[in-house]
Amino acid sequence: MNPPSIPPSPFPRTDGDDAWQALPLRARALFLLGAMPALAVPGAVTGYIAGRIASALSAGRGLGALPMPDPALAGLLLGLLAGGGFGLWLGLKQYRYTLWRLDADGLAVRRGRMWQRETRVPATRVQHLDLKRGPLQRRRRLATLVVHTAGTRHSAVAVANLDLDDAERLRDRLARQIDHDDDD
Amino acid sequence: MTTEPLDPPASEAAATQPQRRLHPMSWLFVLLAQLKQFIVPLIALFLFGRGDRNELWPLIGVGVLAVASLWQYFTYRYGLTAEALVVREGWFERSLRVVPFARIHNVAVQQSVLHRLFGVAEVRLESAGGTKPEAQMRVLKLADALALESLVRRRGAPLPQAAGEASAASAAAGSPATPTVLLALSTGELLRLGLVSNRGMILVGAAVAAFSQTGSRVWPDLFEDVAGIWMGWTDRHHFDTFQYLLGGIAVLLGIVIVLRLLSLALAVLQYHGFVLSQDGRRLTVERGLLARWRTSASRRRIQAWTLREGMVHRLLARRSLEVDTAASEESGQSRALRELAPIATAQACDRLIEGLLPDARWTGLVWRAVPAYSWWRRFLPALPWTLLVAAALTWRFGGWGALALAWLPWAAVSARAQAHRAGYGLGEELVAVREGWWSRHWRFAEIDKLQALRLSRSPLDRRCATATLWLDTAGAGARSPPLRIRFLPEADAQAIYGWLSQELSRRPLRW
Repeated sequence: MNPPSIPPSPFPRTDGDDAWQALPLRARALFLLGAMPALAVPGAVTGYIAGRIASALSAGRGLGALPMPDPALAGLLLGLLAGGGFGLWLGLKQYRYTLWRLDADGLAVRRGRMWQRETRVPATRVQHLDLKRGPLQRRRRLATLVVHTAGTRHSAVAVANLDLDDAERLRDRLARQIDHDDDD
Repeated sequence: MTTEPLDPPASEAAATQPQRRLHPMSWLFVLLAQLKQFIVPLIALFLFGRGDRNELWPLIGVGVLAVASLWQYFTYRYGLTAEALVVREGWFERSLRVVPFARIHNVAVQQSVLHRLFGVAEVRLESAGGTKPEAQMRVLKLADALALESLVRRRGAPLPQAAGEASAASAAAGSPATPTVLLALSTGELLRLGLVSNRGMILVGAAVAAFSQTGSRVWPDLFEDVAGIWMGWTDRHHFDTFQYLLGGIAVLLGIVIVLRLLSLALAVLQYHGFVLSQDGRRLTVERGLLARWRTSASRRRIQAWTLREGMVHRLLARRSLEVDTAASEESGQSRALRELAPIATAQACDRLIEGLLPDARWTGLVWRAVPAYSWWRRFLPALPWTLLVAAALTWRFGGWGALALAWLPWAAVSARAQAHRAGYGLGEELVAVREGWWSRHWRFAEIDKLQALRLSRSPLDRRCATATLWLDTAGAGARSPPLRIRFLPEADAQAIYGWLSQELSRRPLRW
């Protein structure tokens, strides 16, 4: 038996509804709000610890105090800035490189630029769908769509901060399935 | 307390007023099950404790728990309708649960030594999803338990009236009245299983952990005594370095042999009389010497398969076959149908797979190799931690710590061999991945059972123009290797990903 050759897709791949969709512009702020505090706090803690270590080392070696009022505080502020800056950069990247697409095969979500991941949930494999809207998302007409499958690793595929109309349209399209299945 | 056969009643009264009760001795088993988690600390407390009265206060909590579980037993009622099992629990807060027979994926009947003494068994009915069983009956009479199991298998259809009619009807229908045995393990196979498995080590590790949690000084005292004896003996005989080394190796070897003997004993105890049988579309596994386990599941519920061949397996020319079913999320080994063939020859495993997956053509699968030039990427993860360990050992022991770096050439050889062996197979109905060299495994699943797909590329993947394809299935426990193809050239990965996306959207989910 010959192995199946990988055929070209018989389904038409037109641009338009099938193309990769980006997230709306107003979602960018939410990504930043998510990433910046999450990275600023560990950055501040690390900076504080580094400042304490630096001051202890310099005192221990007899070099005298470092030429700044309080190394620990300086470390904290530096760490906060560095963490916050990194969070800003990361949030921007996350926003720009999250794309989704609904085509004849199902939902596909693409994330990341350095670590690229594309997740595909075929339409026949959707178990149930969640639409989550936090207070900030409600004010901006955004929603997070979570698609649940029966799998183990990818049992919940989430697309964060979608436009509300898009999210509802996706939910309705993906929820339309007819289960002819019998059991055993 | 009822002794009539378990035929479904004609009336629907059982739907809301289930009448059957559990076995009168159930209270004992419910109590024991609650106390089981406290047995080891209790024993340790009484044997090794310092007799401190304050340590007995937690027993009050244990007592409350035991009373609550006994209360639950007394309010448990179950009944059978034409299509479902009805369970009523509780008195203050009553719950009526209806479990359709068609939705029961897995039926487990268990008997420990105590159960066999009383002639009872514990029954667990599981459906897909969730970690708790849908209905857990602790305990029923053995005959009732087996009758319930066969009722579930028949989906509640009534049994043929007389034995003569039954055999005639089944012969006419062409279906077997008795299940066919697919695999039965002899004692020799059991001994091989013991040699291969790590059960002894796991048991000893668990015992050590359990006893060390009680805060007793058992292990440190034991260790000091043994070390004192050892040191005294070696001092008397004036050993030099070489003999110390030899002695150390001999002690290690002794420990390994003892652990293996323990594994052998455990294997015989747990897998004696292992029989895998097939009855229509249901697979049943029965095993155990003192405690009996009997688990069955429909063949269709098997989500993914793992065929393993470790180093010791290869020495003994055997393999082992495990499956994931959708209900098997708990780590308890006796619950779901997990091991189809704990140990069997390669031909027996292949025959088993061919028999259970006739459309997949397992033996005719064409394997495609993953290009071997990515071998150095399999070697990379070994570098950082080896260097770390070597640095730590050098800092502690001086120059001898650098011996840890000798692991690196071995890791490189292993990585190259793994890269040359790695491959995947893509059939009309089956997708398979093979990995490993020292410890090999084949992981495969029917395409119908795949859930979500993921194509991922790390920065290193992007530089080398490769990608990793992850295929998700249901019920994959932590013990199963992931179904993924690594270091696949990008064009191939995209092509397979695209083809699988279309195929999965075409095929309905066959749960």
